[in-house]
Amino acid sequence: MVKNVIPVSYSEALDLLNERPFKIIAGGTDLMVQRRSWAQTPPKFSEDVLYIFNLEELKYIKEVDGYIVIGSTTPVEDVLKNKLTPNLLKAAISIMASPALRNMATIAGNIGNASPAGDTLPILYTLDAIIVLESIEGIRELPIKDVITGPGKHIIKQNEIIKELKLPISVFTNSAFEKVGGRKADAISKVSFTGAVNIKDNKVLDFRIAFGAVSATILRRKDLEEKYVGLTKDELIGKVDEIVADYDPFVRPIDDQRSNKEYRKTVALNLLRNFIETL
Amino acid sequence: MKDITTSVLKIDNEEKSKGSAIYVSDITIPGMYYAKTVRSTISKGKIQKITLPEMPENYTIVDYKDIPGKNIVRIIFEDQKIFAEDEVTYYGEPIMLVVGPDKLIIEELVKQIKIEYIEETPVFEYVNSAINYNFKKGDAKSAFENADKVIKYDYVTGYQEQLYIEPQGMVVDIEGDKVTLTGSLQCPYYVKNAVLSALDAKDSEVRVIQAVVGGAFGGKEEFPSLTTTQLAVAAKKIGKPIKMIYEREEDMEVTTKRHPSKINMEAAISKDKEILAFRANVGLDAGANIGLSGVVLSRALIACTGAYTIDDIEVNGDVFLTNTVPNGAYRGFGAPQMLFAVEMFMHHIAKEIDCDPLKLRLRYLSKQGDATSTQGTFNDPIIMNDMIKKAMKESDYKAKKIKYAKEDVYKGIGMSWFLHGCGFTGSGESTHINALVKLRKDKNDKVHILIAAVDMGQGIRTTMMKIVSQVLDIPLEQTVYDLPNTDLVPDSGPTVASRTIMIVGGLVARAAKQLKENWTPGEELTVSERYKQPEYIKWDEDNFVGDAYPAYSWGVNIVEVEVCPVTYQVTLQHVWSVYDVGKAIDERIIMGQADGGIMQGIGYGYLEVMNSKDGRIQQKNVTDYIIPTSVDSPPLDTYLMDNPYPLGPYGAKGAGELTLVGGAPAVALAIEEAIGKKIHKIPVTPEYIMELMKNGKN
Repeated sequence: MVKNVIPVSYSEALDLLNERPFKIIAGGTDLMVQRRSWAQTPPKFSEDVLYIFNLEELKYIKEVDGYIVIGSTTPVEDVLKNKLTPNLLKAAISIMASPALRNMATIAGNIGNASPAGDTLPILYTLDAIIVLESIEGIRELPIKDVITGPGKHIIKQNEIIKELKLPISVFTNSAFEKVGGRKADAISKVSFTGAVNIKDNKVLDFRIAFGAVSATILRRKDLEEKYVGLTKDELIGKVDEIVADYDPFVRPIDDQRSNKEYRKTVALNLLRNFIETL
Repeated sequence: MKDITTSVLKIDNEEKSKGSAIYVSDITIPGMYYAKTVRSTISKGKIQKITLPEMPENYTIVDYKDIPGKNIVRIIFEDQKIFAEDEVTYYGEPIMLVVGPDKLIIEELVKQIKIEYIEETPVFEYVNSAINYNFKKGDAKSAFENADKVIKYDYVTGYQEQLYIEPQGMVVDIEGDKVTLTGSLQCPYYVKNAVLSALDAKDSEVRVIQAVVGGAFGGKEEFPSLTTTQLAVAAKKIGKPIKMIYEREEDMEVTTKRHPSKINMEAAISKDKEILAFRANVGLDAGANIGLSGVVLSRALIACTGAYTIDDIEVNGDVFLTNTVPNGAYRGFGAPQMLFAVEMFMHHIAKEIDCDPLKLRLRYLSKQGDATSTQGTFNDPIIMNDMIKKAMKESDYKAKKIKYAKEDVYKGIGMSWFLHGCGFTGSGESTHINALVKLRKDKNDKVHILIAAVDMGQGIRTTMMKIVSQVLDIPLEQTVYDLPNTDLVPDSGPTVASRTIMIVGGLVARAAKQLKENWTPGEELTVSERYKQPEYIKWDEDNFVGDAYPAYSWGVNIVEVEVCPVTYQVTLQHVWSVYDVGKAIDERIIMGQADGGIMQGIGYGYLEVMNSKDGRIQQKNVTDYIIPTSVDSPPLDTYLMDNPYPLGPYGAKGAGELTLVGGAPAVALAIEEAIGKKIHKIPVTPEYIMELMKNGKN
């Protein structure tokens, strides 16, 4: 029989996780759909469930030592409304799902679910987010790209919980987030794009590109980005064909019931081109 | 006396907004069991062996061997089995029910049932014609022989899912010999007749009661006859009340949808750039059973010239059987497919002969007195010219058309013209339905409306009560319209085909007049009225000759869009609609129908993707099957014209389907203009727009 446990404190949650395996659920906006069942029967969890949405200790957004730190049970609607939240993240949340879901969904849930189409993930990759994992044994801080390893796969240990995420405060002179879904609201991405640059004194100091839903995990290539740092803005725009050609081999989407790979690839590269050409 | 069009509060507003309305899933009966369907997991083949687990006490399977009567869902064309016997013809075909008191145990038993098949090669192409209809008007053959030019285009339309918010559901109760079925349905007497046939029962042994219905759109026209017969058979076997509610995925995977179609159009063009004749060849994908598909095909074929009068036509159509989920009724019933093809074709002809599409279309626009596609007559005034002017003025159509053609923008504006035949096709009203309505005045002078029409959200309870109160000049509160129960109401026909207000409402108004003439306060009195076909309406069903419908409603839709050249996504900017529904019985109710209908029609045209792959529906939940949300919906401006129809109550004609049927061509034409490429299929998805922008023809 599956046990449903609601810890009263964060430390109790950590203790419980150390005792036996649990499925951790916060807002449940992905899990309750994935484990759906015949009406009036319990959701189909095969393991014990730890409900952490009520842990007020993990609901916070604060600025600490050059980072914006977001507690893992903070609903995305609260993140959206907070003035500390980076604009790019706000852009992603504002077109995420529907108002009802935004009051339940968490960014940590996007990480735990590890879908390549997760709405906030391209932003976390672009911002070099650091994920803070905690267990009774201690704290690990890992960059997002090392946490998620494939669709639905991550390296979070059985006794660990996502405590918070840390977003280094960054400066961008131009940034864009584009989500291409089946409709204007309440849709899963067919493809998404994030671009962010910092140009100072006509020199590209920082150049970041990320794509969602075009490969097994979010696509971000620091090696390619570095090629274009140090150029002038016009030089960067002049190299648009080369940039698109650089990303082309790494944009490897799939066919599914929501779209096809030709469309996803074409649009991903169009968005990249459009971002650079309109800088 | 007030103008009947003046809106009142819908009588079910309160119960629906409070949540107190009783839908079928809210119904529980003490000792009630549940049922789950065991379905075919292949598209075609023979059932070789079924291995059942050991059934615990109180758990039973129900299959074709338990049917006392015929193993056929009796509706119009009798080819659908209640349960598969030794062969299956589509993935998801029902084979048996597992029935018992605990859902978790039922699910476990369903998992343990092993069915072995000898698989056969399924057919998914349009090759196996089960019904062919063809007809002619004039002499298209010689027109094509003498033509200066023949223009040919092919059009393709996809599935559309009704996506009523409440899935299919039914509860059966049994007391002695009497079976009572309560559920979400559009046609109480279709269900009753189907159950009578399945149980081989006496008329008094079956009763059907409508629960509050959470949307239907045709999806609850014939499909509930399948689930109710299954449950009735189960109740007879087990002697217990049983409830069966489909989950969303089951509903989307196995219930009827709009027929996908392939339509070839040909026009004979003279030297003077006149359209001499049309040829239309229509293929509908029926899925694995014929069911209502022949009737859907009829409506499609009759609409082959849309809102235009073409003197010489040749029409051919087939219902093709494929090993896929059976398709069926959906708001518009064959007309949306055909009207998409006709409207696109008129524009494509205009392009080929280098003629202004508006001028070309106006030249052939139907007028009062013209012959219909089936050599009947448009008897009533047609006010399309005024409607087109109104729509063009409100939308600033001409200026935008010029502007968008000149500028280097991805904006477009499209306009569709259309008609919808009200009521059953052909002589269906008199030969098949023969509607009967009753009004009963009780001792307290309350007037009970006794009809089998179902309010599925379209407001028919409110509008019928308005008609009765208006005729009798009594307050609305003095009329009563309970949810239909076949033991209490006569068969006034199914709630389909934009017939309810015009046909049933017309009979109700006549009955009310009768009641008024014989009104004695404090005395009980029941009056009835039966449908009589107007004498001037003649129809030859075998040859498609005569008046296919007693009346027509007309409409104009204008849709303005912008297409993003980076993502190929379409943004709806604005929609303008002008409708002639005769007379609105309630303005706000019609406006509600109009807003829902046009978004359903536009969604069909650009957004709603449903595919079948290897015989299986790919989009089977509301995450994957995308319909427009309020964020996708632009401002919708709707104008109603007054053009009373003499035989309708207060002049009312059909309205329910009209508001859907022009949406797809209007949005497709707008996108065609925005991207400058010809569109041949719907939905016009971003994926298709990308293809067209890369390789499409101007």
